[in-house]
Amino acid sequence: MKDRDPLVLSHLTKKYGPNTAVNDVSFSIKPGEVFGLLGPNGAGKTTIISTIMTLQSATSGTVEVFGIDIRKNPKKAKILIGYVAQELVHHGFFTVEQVLKYHANYYGLKKNHKDIIYLLHKLDLYIHRNKLVNQLSGGMKRRLMIAKALIHEPKLLLLDEPTAGVDLELRNSLWEFIHELKNKNISILLTTHYLEEAQQLCDRIGILQKGALRRIDKVENLLEEHSLKRISLVLKTPRNSFTHSLLESIEGPCLHFRVPHKMAVQELLSEIAIPYEEILDVQVAPGTLEDVMKNVLSREES
Amino acid sequence: MSALIQIQGLFVREVARFFKVPLQTIGAPIVNSALYLMIFGVSLGNSIRSPDHIPYLAFLIPGLIAMSVIKNAFDNATSAIMGPKYVNELQDLRIVPLSIQQISWAKSFASLTRGLLVGLITYIVGQVFFYITEGHLLIITHPHILAYFLIVGGLAFGFLGIAIGMISSSFEHVGAVSALVLLPLIYLGGVFFTLQNLHPFWQKLSFFNPLLYIINGVRYGVLGTTDVSFLTSGLITFVFLLLTYICAYMSLKKGVHYLR
Repeated sequence: MKDRDPLVLSHLTKKYGPNTAVNDVSFSIKPGEVFGLLGPNGAGKTTIISTIMTLQSATSGTVEVFGIDIRKNPKKAKILIGYVAQELVHHGFFTVEQVLKYHANYYGLKKNHKDIIYLLHKLDLYIHRNKLVNQLSGGMKRRLMIAKALIHEPKLLLLDEPTAGVDLELRNSLWEFIHELKNKNISILLTTHYLEEAQQLCDRIGILQKGALRRIDKVENLLEEHSLKRISLVLKTPRNSFTHSLLESIEGPCLHFRVPHKMAVQELLSEIAIPYEEILDVQVAPGTLEDVMKNVLSREES
Repeated sequence: MSALIQIQGLFVREVARFFKVPLQTIGAPIVNSALYLMIFGVSLGNSIRSPDHIPYLAFLIPGLIAMSVIKNAFDNATSAIMGPKYVNELQDLRIVPLSIQQISWAKSFASLTRGLLVGLITYIVGQVFFYITEGHLLIITHPHILAYFLIVGGLAFGFLGIAIGMISSSFEHVGAVSALVLLPLIYLGGVFFTLQNLHPFWQKLSFFNPLLYIINGVRYGVLGTTDVSFLTSGLITFVFLLLTYICAYMSLKKGVHYLR
């Protein structure tokens, strides 16, 4: 199992009648890697995760978890996976602690009180352990779902929009927690609509559009290839009539340029032929995943 | 990974679930049984003919026990599927390493537990009514045969409830099956009357009702008399169990059924 990739999708396709929700998607996740699946609504992110978890059956293609085909040997594969669904789960009849205890049983584990208490502390749920789940806030329920996914110490974690609808404080603490899990060599597949989150957490990203995987690469490579950085020059005297192909906008004495990621400030200055003496200040903002997404999606669309 | 812990975990959770709402799961069925006993057994009992000169109350009690077990096993199984489905909880069973067999047996055994509990209470309430009316207790003639029909029948309706719950997309569907199919089959299966009281056409039709065999089997277990041979009833009930298990298995196999 050690030599196998935690997750390998090969030519995965899911069709609903004439509609193709997932079209020939292939990718793999390395041990300890955080892999982000990004794409607009309806791109197929949740369908891919549901298919991995056998909640949907694939029309064709395979899913392997540490070399185990999840269709052929679901029990063995599912022991290795923790899953946090997009929609909140309520468990109205039970307390937080009971839910974790029963969930551990489903994995054939008789978790002792200490193990459960550790996880409750880790996710700031300890003081709520005797509350019924339907008395918890949305953020607390989200934490409980993560605790459930971790109760059996999985090697692969699937997070389907884990921070959707949670406040900033919780989002930051979840980000920290995901970093902690990554440091423990747990591989993570993350879908999110928050591009900042993906940029912060992911090592590699796959961009989905209309069910097809358009790009897949390391975050820095995607930024370099598909985003433009912003260089702003503050001039001593405004130049309202200045024109150049790299110029994005003029705001008073400020000239904003969009340049390729690799272009240095000096290169720009020599390109636009503005003498150093005329410049009061220079600000450089790197490209963002939002630029990457816009770029990739619009290119594919056209 | 222990398969026993897995199945036990799900079973205990399911039993704990119905004990969380005791009024709905235990209280209401007891009131129902008491009302049936009072109205049919005591008030109208004297004017109803029963076979072999058995007091009508004695004839009614096993029918009500069978009805309680079947109805409660079915209701428990459907609500154990539909409730979690509505709050996105059911998919938990699909994402964990529980096999379909483990899910179906654990849920069905939990449903049987509720059915037997309500059946036992119905029996106790029935004994109270019987003692007041007849002056002595109703003796169970064949306890092992009674146990067979209650267990096999209860499990079968647990499986059937799972299958109906899995393929239903709303509580309305489940309610419709319960009211339009199950209840008529229970009432026409001989809870309140013997086959001999029916027109020959309805008698023939009744032989296609699987509940007839369970109810008659239970009646044979309690009273030692029946409309249908208890061996035939036992065999048909067992075949019915296998069929309902296949239905439950097939419905649990499809992952999409776990989603709302």
